[in-house]
Amino acid sequence: MDTINNEFENNVIDTASLPKFEEAALTVLQPDYRKIMFFNVALVYTIIAIAGGSALYFIEQTRDYIIPAIIIYTVFLFLSIVLTNLSFKNRGFAFRNHDVIYKSGVISTTVTIIPYNRVQHVALHEGILSRKFGLASVEVFTAGGDSSDIKISGIEKQQAENIKQLLVGKILKQENANEE
Amino acid sequence: MKSDFSKPQRQSLVGVVVMFADTFQGAIRALWPILIVWIFRFKELNKLSVLAGAGVIIVLVGIIAYLKYLNFTFFLDEKNEEFVIRKGILNKSRLAIPLDKIQQVNINQSLIQRIINVYALEVDTAGSSKKEVSIRAIDHNLALLLKERLLENENEVTENSDISREGELKIRQYEKEYPFIQISFITLLKTGITSNYTRSFALLFAFFISIYQYIEDIIQATGYEEDPLEEYINAELFLRFITTIVIIILVLTLVVNLLRTIIKYFDFKITRKQNSLLLSFGLINTKSTIIRPEKVQILAVGRNFFQKKLKIQDIRIRQAYNQTSNKDHLKSAIEIPGCNDSEKDALMQFLLGKIPEKGLGLKPNIRKVLFQIVKAILIPSGIYFFLVYLSPEMIDYVMFLAVYILFVSIIIFFSFRNYKLFVNNNFIIKQSGAWDISTEILAPHKIQGVSLTQYFWHKNPDIGIVTLHTAGGNLTFGLTGYTKLKGLVNYWLYQVETTDKNWM
Repeated sequence: MDTINNEFENNVIDTASLPKFEEAALTVLQPDYRKIMFFNVALVYTIIAIAGGSALYFIEQTRDYIIPAIIIYTVFLFLSIVLTNLSFKNRGFAFRNHDVIYKSGVISTTVTIIPYNRVQHVALHEGILSRKFGLASVEVFTAGGDSSDIKISGIEKQQAENIKQLLVGKILKQENANEE
Repeated sequence: MKSDFSKPQRQSLVGVVVMFADTFQGAIRALWPILIVWIFRFKELNKLSVLAGAGVIIVLVGIIAYLKYLNFTFFLDEKNEEFVIRKGILNKSRLAIPLDKIQQVNINQSLIQRIINVYALEVDTAGSSKKEVSIRAIDHNLALLLKERLLENENEVTENSDISREGELKIRQYEKEYPFIQISFITLLKTGITSNYTRSFALLFAFFISIYQYIEDIIQATGYEEDPLEEYINAELFLRFITTIVIIILVLTLVVNLLRTIIKYFDFKITRKQNSLLLSFGLINTKSTIIRPEKVQILAVGRNFFQKKLKIQDIRIRQAYNQTSNKDHLKSAIEIPGCNDSEKDALMQFLLGKIPEKGLGLKPNIRKVLFQIVKAILIPSGIYFFLVYLSPEMIDYVMFLAVYILFVSIIIFFSFRNYKLFVNNNFIIKQSGAWDISTEILAPHKIQGVSLTQYFWHKNPDIGIVTLHTAGGNLTFGLTGYTKLKGLVNYWLYQVETTDKNWM
C-alpha cells in the first residue's frame, strides 16, 4: 500500500500539501429549514393518521389491531423525528475556489464533490413553504447520469442567488478558456 | 468525389420500401386488437370485406410511406453550421442540429435495409432521443460521405481547442483510412466458447434443481424404494440420466453462446480514420459506430481463465451518453470481443494515449468479505432454515444449500482476492470479478464528481467507499481505508481542477 505514496512522490507536487477537502469548513443549513423538514414529516404522518383513523372507523375488523397500530405509529413517528433532526444536523456544504462540497446522510454519510469545470448547469428551486421562510435550494448538474448531481436545500434566497451567479460565472469562464 | 449536401435532398428512392415496412409495422402495432379479432373470427366474417379491408390498409400504408419519403429531406446548412432535417406529412417539422453538438454518427443496416442495399444513418446528439434524427434509407457511399462531413466539423473544432494535438492531426489527415483491427471468425469461435459462463451456470443450476425435483416425484410415485436391488438400478440410471442432462445443457449453452457471438459480432472490423475509430460488425443487422478518444470515459477489459489461456480478452468501451437515454446506457457500451494482447495494446494506445501500468494498489478491507458472507450465505441460509421450520419436508433440499454455500464461498473468496484499485499519475484502474475478471481503466481527468460514503459503523475502523462519477457511468470501490481514500480524492480533485484536457 505504501507504493501509492511512492507513486505520488514521483510527481512534482507534494500530495501532503494539497488542499484537503475534509478540512474545508462546511456551512450548515439555515435553522428555518429544519422547520420545513419537520413540517414535511408532520404532513406525511397526518395523512397516515387520517387514513388509519378512517380505516378504524369504517372497517370494524381492523379495530382488533388498534393497539399494535398505535405502537408502531408512535415508534415510527419518534424515529422519523430523531432521523430528521440528525439529517438536518449532518448536512453541510462548502464552495471552494475550484469545487463544491456537499455532505449529507444519517446512517451513511456521503460527501460529494463536484469540480466547477465539470458542472453542466445550475438550477435554483423555491418551494411554497421555502418561500415563506425566504429559503431556496441550489441544484448542480453534471453530464451523464444523475447519480453525481447534488441538491443543496435550505439556503437563504439571497445566498442561493449569489451561489448560482458564482457557479454560472465559473462555468462561463471555463468555456471561454476552452475556446481561446 | 464530394457530394453536395448543401441542397435539400431526399433519401434513396428504394427507401420507400423501408418506409413502407416501418409504417406497416406501426400500423400493425396500432391495429393489433382488430387484427386478432379478424384472425379468430375469420370463418364467420365475410372474407371479401376482410380482404378488402386488408387491401385498403396496405394501400393506405403505401401512400403514407410514399408521402413520408417525399416529405423527408435533409441538408447541411454550411452558414449556420447545422444539419437540417425536414419531415412530416401533416405536421411538418424542421429539425436543426448544430454540428458541434453531434456526438456520434452511426451507420446501421437491418434485414430489410440489407435486402434492398441501403443503410440507416443515425445522428446521436447530447440531449435528444435518437429516433428523431435518423435517416432510414441512404446508399452506402452517400452515408459515408455524409458521416464524414458531419464529423469533419467536429474534428476542426477539437483541432482548434486542442492545440497539443494539432500537429498529430495534420499528419493523420494524409492517412485517410486504414484497417486497424479485424476480428477473425476463429477468434469469434474462441470468444463464443469461453464467455458468458456465469449465465450458463445459472441456467444449469436452475435446470438441475427442477430435474431433481421431477425425478424425485417419479421415484416416489412408482414406489420403488422398497426393493433394494431396484433402488440400486434406479440410482445408476438416475446418475446416468443426470450426467446426460448436464452434458446436453453444457453443449446447448455453448452452442447458444457461440451462435449469439457470431451473429452479433460477425465480420468485426475496426478502421482508423483521422482521429477516430470506426467499428462495423453484425451478421443479420450490420452495425457501425464511431469511437473518439475524447468521448471514451471508462475502458474495461474482461477476461476469464480460459480466455487468458487462449490469450484473448473482451474490451468494453463506455462513452459519454446523453441524459435522456441514461436508462439504457449499459447498452451504449461498445464491446470488442476477442482481442489479442497486441490488439488490446494498440487500442489502449489509441484511446488512452498510453498503455496503463498497474503497479501495486489498494486492497479492500476484510470487512467486505464479512459483509458478503452475511448477505449471500447467512441470510439465504437463515431463510432456508426458517422455511424448514415452517414445513419440515424442505429439509430434503439441504444438499442444494450445501452446493450453494460451497459455490458462493468460492466466488466470494476469488472476488475478494481479485478486488483491487490501482492508482498512478495517469490512470485509475479497478480490478474485480471472480471468474470473469474485469479491469476498468479511467483517466483522472474524466472524473466529473467524487462521492465518499461511510456508514456509521465504518467510522471507527476508518473505512469507506469511493464512487467516481463520469459522463459514461460510475466506478465504485470499497470498503477500504478511509484516510487513504481521502488523500486520493484530494489528489484526483487536484488533477481534475488543474487540467484543461477535453473530457467529453
